[in-house]
Amino acid sequence: MSTVIEAINVCKTFGEQRVSKNISLAVREGSIYGLLGPNGAGKTTLIRMLSTITQPDSGEIRFRGDDLKDVHAHQMGYMPEERGLYKKMTVAEQLLFFAELRGLSNRDAKAAVKHWLQRLDMMDWARKKVEEISKGMAQKVQFVSCVLHNPKLLILDEPFSGFDPVNADLIKDLILELKRGGTSVIFSTHRMDNVESLCDHLAIIHKGEKVLDGSVSEIRRNHFTGMYDVGYHEEVVWDLGEAAPLSMEKNSDGKVVYRFQTSEVFTPEHLLSAAMLKGKLVHYTEHIPSIHEIFVDTVSKGGAPIAL
Amino acid sequence: MKNIFVIFKREYLTRVKNKTFILMTFLAPLLMVGFYAATIYIATETGDDNRSKTVYLTDYNPTLMLSNNPPANYVFLPAPSNEDSAIADVKSGVVFGWLKVEDRDVRVIDSATYYTAETPSLVEMEGLKSWIEGKANKHQFAKLGLRESQIDSAQSSCDIVTKEVSNSGDVQESSSALKSGIGFALAFMIYIFIFVYGSMVMRSAMEEKTNRIVEVIVSSVKPFDLMMGKILGVAAVGLTQFVAWIVLAVGLVFGISALFLNSGNGMSTQEAVQKGIEARTGMATVGMDGGAVAGESGSGVARDLAAEFTEPLSNLPYFEIIAVFLLFFVGGYLLYSSFFAAIGSAVNQESDVQQFMMPVTLPLVFGFVIAQTVALKAPHGAMAKLFSMIPLTSPIVMVVRAPFGVPFGELALSFGLLVLMFVLMVWLSSRIYRIGILSYGKKPTWKDLWKWLR
Repeated sequence: MSTVIEAINVCKTFGEQRVSKNISLAVREGSIYGLLGPNGAGKTTLIRMLSTITQPDSGEIRFRGDDLKDVHAHQMGYMPEERGLYKKMTVAEQLLFFAELRGLSNRDAKAAVKHWLQRLDMMDWARKKVEEISKGMAQKVQFVSCVLHNPKLLILDEPFSGFDPVNADLIKDLILELKRGGTSVIFSTHRMDNVESLCDHLAIIHKGEKVLDGSVSEIRRNHFTGMYDVGYHEEVVWDLGEAAPLSMEKNSDGKVVYRFQTSEVFTPEHLLSAAMLKGKLVHYTEHIPSIHEIFVDTVSKGGAPIAL
Repeated sequence: MKNIFVIFKREYLTRVKNKTFILMTFLAPLLMVGFYAATIYIATETGDDNRSKTVYLTDYNPTLMLSNNPPANYVFLPAPSNEDSAIADVKSGVVFGWLKVEDRDVRVIDSATYYTAETPSLVEMEGLKSWIEGKANKHQFAKLGLRESQIDSAQSSCDIVTKEVSNSGDVQESSSALKSGIGFALAFMIYIFIFVYGSMVMRSAMEEKTNRIVEVIVSSVKPFDLMMGKILGVAAVGLTQFVAWIVLAVGLVFGISALFLNSGNGMSTQEAVQKGIEARTGMATVGMDGGAVAGESGSGVARDLAAEFTEPLSNLPYFEIIAVFLLFFVGGYLLYSSFFAAIGSAVNQESDVQQFMMPVTLPLVFGFVIAQTVALKAPHGAMAKLFSMIPLTSPIVMVVRAPFGVPFGELALSFGLLVLMFVLMVWLSSRIYRIGILSYGKKPTWKDLWKWLR
């Protein structure tokens, strides 16, 4: 599959501070790419370079095979983390303005505005000024303003921050819908809630460096460290010596789950046979770490690059 | 280019469709007319000190006969012989003041004193001085054996008509006063408009920054295009307003003159204007012999005045004046508005603006001061020429000189310099703008701006 955008050894320095250090990444056509990282990791800087707002000091960015140029902005949609609208303009005027900025002709822009307002049931609000509509409504307008021109690549910086849960879900659905329509999406976040359900591919950025990169399933599989969960309907007593459970957790459905670390000495088979003797075993799985755990683990290790 | 147009369109339409803009476009000329009418009214009706004043008079030189024919509004009483009680009366308000003229030699009167409880106005002092001088002069003439009627008939008056000889040899009547007035009015308009529309550009840049709209915009438009679209859009708003006002003004003038000429009331407005002019010269009520009544010859003078300006008015180089005005207005606006745009992009809130405004407003105010003084006194002098060449002051100084006729070479050079400076400034400003719009957080300093420039 071809890539829609590709960064090769991109560096950016502000004064003394190296904000991007040799970052390379490739976003496949029609995929959703998550950029994860704590606040201040350099996500926004990277995103601004990808969206033609700033230029890297060194390195290359390619858009569908060509060197990234300003004209490519017409094929991109961009929603920054800090976003706003013209308070004194009406919803429709505003959307028309953004559509024309992205290169649509006046006629196409009008059609696109109408389509999206209908699609989100907002026709009644078209003539209202932004200062007159609710915040949630303004958030929808904000999102629509960057997808009006049916972009090839949609870049969203912290799209879920500041959105209420209802709108966050709506936007999640819209992102998936756009993906089905062939749009590739890059989004950054420091929250993991939506990553696993949305992303095909993700990268973790920490202190200006890419410390992890891969498909979601790949990454999780690679972070499997031999931990297993066993569960019962009631608590059991363990006397396995060195192979004591790492943790115990009571689920809301009353299940009691113990987590074990297996090894070459204490294999999963050993665990299973031991577990079966303790009582009525109702649960036995590999513990594959969540992206959240991987993220916290990676970042707390100080961001040393982890080879896949 | 298309992007500049999209930005331009938004800036223009949102402003022109704004209710305040429409209202102001129609109201401003009325307000302006109202303002001048009020000024004239205040100057004529209430501005002068028309109180009747009772004043003690001590006169050591009876030959002057100061107590005869006091100035208008003054009543002279002989002062009490005791000086302390005279001063006490002034203090307690029994009399307004005490005029004491101690000189015996009438050639140099330098020992006159005027005691008052409140500080007398400049106009009052000038009036009293010229009144005493008049008395002294008459006394001197009388000593030479001239009768009063002879003195009056010996007074001559002088009026010089200015005629200009053009390159083609035509001789035309002109009026320096008229040209000064027009030049000054145009300079004032440029001065005000650069401020009004410049700060409009600044607020627009600031709004986009503080509302966080700008990041979305610069993801599809280059900051330079955004800035240019904005500057040009606001310029178009200004020009729209100009055109609307010219149309309104012409309409008003025709409407009013038609109305007044038909009903025969035209003179009353002229009279008011004339009274206003006299009031401003300050000498109308405290005349030489205390007798000259302003209104008496008012309408006659107004007619003379109108006649005096009719021919010079028709002889003005209108095309040149309007062309210079428009070119230098647009050039000056573009130059300064790029400054304003850079400031708007750099700051985070309105209150941070002040520190950067100083270097922008200073040359503008300086240009205006030069226009008021040097350029009006000596429109072809070296200083006026110099400052009509320097791009920061030329938009204002040149329009003052324009009605007096500026050689084409000078105009071309000055305008060329203005355009050069404008291009340079736009380039510099766009460098600040480009970084400023995305820099949030701490209040920017001059050092930051310098860093962004490089």
